[in-house]
Amino acid sequence: MKAMIIDDEPPARRELRRLLTDFPWVEVVGDAGNVDQAAEMIESLTPGLLFLDIQMPGGSGFDLLTRLEHLPQVIFTTAYDEHAVRAFEVDALDYLLKPIDPARLAEALGRVKSAEAARTPQPDAVLEQIFVRDGARCWFVPLREVRLLSSEGNYIRLSWGKSKPLLGRALAALEQRLDPNRFFRANRRQIINLDFIENVELGVNGRLHAQLRDGPEVEISRRQARLFKTKMSI
Amino acid sequence: MNDASLPARTKSRQLYWILQVAGWGLYTLVKYIGAATVLGMPWGTTALELAIFGCVGLAISHWLRNFVRRRQWAALSIPKLATRIVVASFIVGTPLGIATQISDVSALQDPGPVLHEYAPALRASVTVPIQALLQIANWAFLYMIWLTIYFGAVGLREYRTARLEQSELARALQLAELRLLKSQLNPHFLFNALNTVRSLIADNPSRAQNAVTRLANTLRYTLSSRQDELVTLSQELDIVSDYLQLESMRFEDRLRIETHVPEDAAAVHIPVMLLQILVENAIKHGIAELPSGGLLRISAVLQNEMLILQVENPRPLVPIRATHEGIGLRNAQDRLRLLFGARASLDLDLSKPAVTTARLRIPVQK
Repeated sequence: MKAMIIDDEPPARRELRRLLTDFPWVEVVGDAGNVDQAAEMIESLTPGLLFLDIQMPGGSGFDLLTRLEHLPQVIFTTAYDEHAVRAFEVDALDYLLKPIDPARLAEALGRVKSAEAARTPQPDAVLEQIFVRDGARCWFVPLREVRLLSSEGNYIRLSWGKSKPLLGRALAALEQRLDPNRFFRANRRQIINLDFIENVELGVNGRLHAQLRDGPEVEISRRQARLFKTKMSI
Repeated sequence: MNDASLPARTKSRQLYWILQVAGWGLYTLVKYIGAATVLGMPWGTTALELAIFGCVGLAISHWLRNFVRRRQWAALSIPKLATRIVVASFIVGTPLGIATQISDVSALQDPGPVLHEYAPALRASVTVPIQALLQIANWAFLYMIWLTIYFGAVGLREYRTARLEQSELARALQLAELRLLKSQLNPHFLFNALNTVRSLIADNPSRAQNAVTRLANTLRYTLSSRQDELVTLSQELDIVSDYLQLESMRFEDRLRIETHVPEDAAAVHIPVMLLQILVENAIKHGIAELPSGGLLRISAVLQNEMLILQVENPRPLVPIRATHEGIGLRNAQDRLRLLFGARASLDLDLSKPAVTTARLRIPVQK
């Protein structure tokens, strides 16, 4: 598995590389010392796993994740940061405190392995999860759990469980990376998750309305209606 | 008054009234049983009179309590308090004693029948004035007991609150000390330094040994320094240099250091850990926030009997996160004010673009 180390302190990067030599299945393909350099390297090297420091020059580890097109699995590393630890109570794979305890590292890598085994293989271009930051909270959002993506200017509003976090991207750019078997462009502003459709009705205006589980009713534009019908009959 | 003490007050007030009513009620009841059974007095009028005396007795005791509270008798010494209790008891006992002597229930306190049985010779000497005096003494004695119980209860309550407050105060002090220690220790630096040492053990064992010594020096200095301690600038510079060596191992070529302190300036006394805090801030909010790091410059100069000490560092044009330097800086300013008053000052100069200058002015001690 390809991995990358992002940390602004060279000794910390060397130390982690050395610790990882005990795990031959983890191949460190590169390391970076700041957010800009890291973002570039991740997009070109497409690692499956990131070891990510939280406090870094030019933005935090969280800032880096919100920028990524290709989101690998993430293990946070931090020397002393209560905020980071708290962010993890919401959702994440694991975090390691520096100096890193080799036994804890083995445990974290075990989690990576089991998460990898549980995951159904997808073509590389398809996005499976996305990192979202809303105020002080951070989430790794699995896209299959998102029922609706609505365009709001240059942002996307995700309808995910009870939360509606905002994502700093354009809907058209994200659409290319969504699983076409699951997501469907309902109209100019909205993309729906087909798994969440409860029923479809013909509205008074002669247009189709899809009722989403736990969510709003979404109108399907005339242009998309024919495509939608073919898709649903399959 | 805070909210927490309110329920406690209502509770003690409730207890006071319960004890008052129960005490006086019981006292009256015992008297009534004695009068109705032993002496065979008419039950109706006896009950009425005793009830009136009971209510008046209670009312006077309540008035007495308000009086002693207003006069703050609880703060008096024991002998003074005892004297006042006796005098006050006789003062309120006198009208009550006379009233009892006039009433029908006076027979309850009349020693006549007892004396008649055991000491007939004394029977004749118990005249009406003596009977009245006995009634007065009886009431006075009752109020002495009442006041003694009252002050006993007040004393106990005060002792308990004082003990509680004392332990709470001790806990608050411990917490404040702990917070101070934690802020001095700078855990972020400490754990990163330990991580660096771990890495150096494999990379470069002799540098690792060096790092451990530097870390020990820094910790010892931090832990042993007191808030009001003064050290020479050269002593402080020694420890700052230990600290900077450790940070250089962490940041490698991102951290460059320049120090310019003439000998006469190095001999000036400054508050302990003050330069150290300025340097820590310069790294945390300057060097560590910049991908390519930068130059940290420490300079000192003597001017008109004043030491001017400057720490300069590059800073990001846009602050990356809300800065917390307020706490450390404010603490430093407070200490300066306590030690030197208005003659010393510490301020952050942000007038140059992308550079922060912390400037400290301290009068030279003779």
